Amino acid sequence: MSEADAQQRWRTSRAPLGDRSAYKKVWELQSQDMDVASLAVAGHTDLATLELTARGTIDMLKATVGIGPLDVILEIGCGIGRVGLPLSKECLHWVGTDISSGMLRHAAARLKDRPNTTLVELSTVGLQEFPVDSFDLVYCTIVFMHLLEWDRYRYVEEAFRILRPGGRCYVDNFTVDTETGWKIFMESSSYPIDRRPAHISMSSSREELRTYLTRAGFAEVRVHDLANGLIAATGRKPEAGA
Amino acid sequence: MSTSGETEPRTAALQAELESVKRREAEYRVKMIQEFLDRGERNTYLHTLREERAALIKRDQEASADLEILTRKIEEAEAKIASLLSEREQAPAPKGRWGKAEPKAAAPAPTPTGRTPVPGAPFTYYLHTSPFRIYRESAFTLKGWAWPEDGRPVTGIRVDVDGNLYPGTTGIEEPEVVARYGVQAQNPKPGFGVTFETPPGRHTFSLEAQLANAEWRTIMRTTIWCEPAPR
Repeated sequence: MSEADAQQRWRTSRAPLGDRSAYKKVWELQSQDMDVASLAVAGHTDLATLELTARGTIDMLKATVGIGPLDVILEIGCGIGRVGLPLSKECLHWVGTDISSGMLRHAAARLKDRPNTTLVELSTVGLQEFPVDSFDLVYCTIVFMHLLEWDRYRYVEEAFRILRPGGRCYVDNFTVDTETGWKIFMESSSYPIDRRPAHISMSSSREELRTYLTRAGFAEVRVHDLANGLIAATGRKPEAGA
Repeated sequence: MSTSGETEPRTAALQAELESVKRREAEYRVKMIQEFLDRGERNTYLHTLREERAALIKRDQEASADLEILTRKIEEAEAKIASLLSEREQAPAPKGRWGKAEPKAAAPAPTPTGRTPVPGAPFTYYLHTSPFRIYRESAFTLKGWAWPEDGRPVTGIRVDVDGNLYPGTTGIEEPEVVARYGVQAQNPKPGFGVTFETPPGRHTFSLEAQLANAEWRTIMRTTIWCEPAPR
């Protein structure tokens, strides 16, 4: 499939905006073809760019929340395993979660030689599949733009629950007050009003992300302006008794 | 009072120990997560794969069942043909042009088994790998479990393909079978496996068990088809 064909299929999704909450349905549709899936989760289809952007995400994680060789890490909305593949080489264990089994099928093919990885299909919004106090780091990148606000917060709450005391959380999104963010905003704005797809990208504000993390109970909450034009919020689950 | 020369190795040793403890703790958490996922596996991708595997096994079983029905129909048709041919043989020979009887067709050569045909016997059995299939490889291993309903021990297993005998292995543990049917006093390990050659063509096949180191009895008999694997 050509990049143009993939772009066309990605833009003219059959799931209308009213289906935005039906994440499983929407993302199973997007995952049927590897190129469309790649476009949906990374914005491009070629392998070299995929690896390059994954490296960029890992660098952002290192700069904001840090990554250690003994970390047990969970990604919310891992898609085709773009970040998981290289990140699993730098941590003890990486768990990729996604609401779409189709996305995980692509991820499984990419991660077949990485024994320290686990893929889990989420049944619905949340991380109810995981026990409390389990992970050192939970992150969610290039996902919030496709979620409704209540669901963004639900994931932050769930991240807090499954992180061990002292564990770190990272979430990001685009915001309209950066050049990159405005470009994404205008792209979304270009859809005809009656043909906006369910996965259309929607922004966050710095205060929105800060509020989610603070309300969920995180300490040391910070908002970062990232080099790629996105914003990220990070926090640490307080140590027991703190 | 310790000097810095003494404390440095101790600090290094303590740091190494701390790293080791951290690693064990992280590994324990990974194990805990995996166990948690295993317990609630209905929501995991692993479960999706297992469901797909179960569906494929079911399709394979259905295909084998269809092939079994077809095989039985062919065998019935062949038996009917043989019976009709036999009737024709028995019928009064038609007169030839010169009033002589037509010469009788030669009797079919005996099957080169070199042994007494094996009579059937009631067995409780199950075949993990269905014999009802098109055999593509040069050899095939049939696996399953069996015991005779009269309770005698199975002391040998073999496959007969067109009279060629292939001995197998008995006494393989089948814990799930034991859990379901209880321990068979004479056959506590009822599993078996037999590898036999599958040269291209159509063959008669029978699976046979030796009871109490004495007679061989047929568990099941059928026709099999072998074709080379497509290139």
